Amino acid sequence: METKRSPKNIFVQGPISPESIAKSIANHSSKTDIGGHSIFLGQVRADEKEGGKVTAIEYTAYEEMALEKAFEIREAIFAKYPLSCMHIYHSLGEVKAGEICLFVFTSSKHRKAAIDACEELVERIKKEVPVWGKELIDNDGSVWKENV
Amino acid sequence: MTITKIRVVAFGMIAEKIKTNLLELEYMQDTEVLLGYLYQQYPDLQHTKFSIAINKKMAVGKTAIPVGAEVALLPPFSGG
Repeated sequence: METKRSPKNIFVQGPISPESIAKSIANHSSKTDIGGHSIFLGQVRADEKEGGKVTAIEYTAYEEMALEKAFEIREAIFAKYPLSCMHIYHSLGEVKAGEICLFVFTSSKHRKAAIDACEELVERIKKEVPVWGKELIDNDGSVWKENV
Repeated sequence: MTITKIRVVAFGMIAEKIKTNLLELEYMQDTEVLLGYLYQQYPDLQHTKFSIAINKKMAVGKTAIPVGAEVALLPPFSGG
């Protein structure tokens, strides 16, 4: 039977819990053709800004476009690298400094494909997926973040 | 009749500057006409960097706007 992959949700309300990441790793124990996983975790940094310190980032997205774009990137990365598995999770709403806001997880038979695919995924997500982070400052102000 | 309207959605810093995340505008044929209107209505936008997506696809340069399209004003992305 031919199955056509369709966009799946990548968004998680609030921070991504370390427990859910551990569970996601454990879920792969039955896939014994996998020889290497690569994981990237984005964490909110308590940067010093004019007027105070960043306490959290509030994320918003153009959700429909973000899911379409994430799907397009996902398909392109699957076509480029021999991967067994790929998972992308991004936070929406408030994520406090020290908490996880992005979880990218790739698995393959050998390490190189998983590592390279993971890196390319993270770069493309940051550059191409319409998500915005507003840094909340401890003086009650805020600054729109911009990816470099 | 509302068929000749376009729906403009705004995000992030742009939504803050125009003080709404949704505009219902009379039909405009392309992104150049739309930008002219936006710059006139919201002079602040002239100094703000943003891209335009039409029906969820990035529009580069002067692009035609189909009738009934959803146009999005997107400030620089800062996910992750």
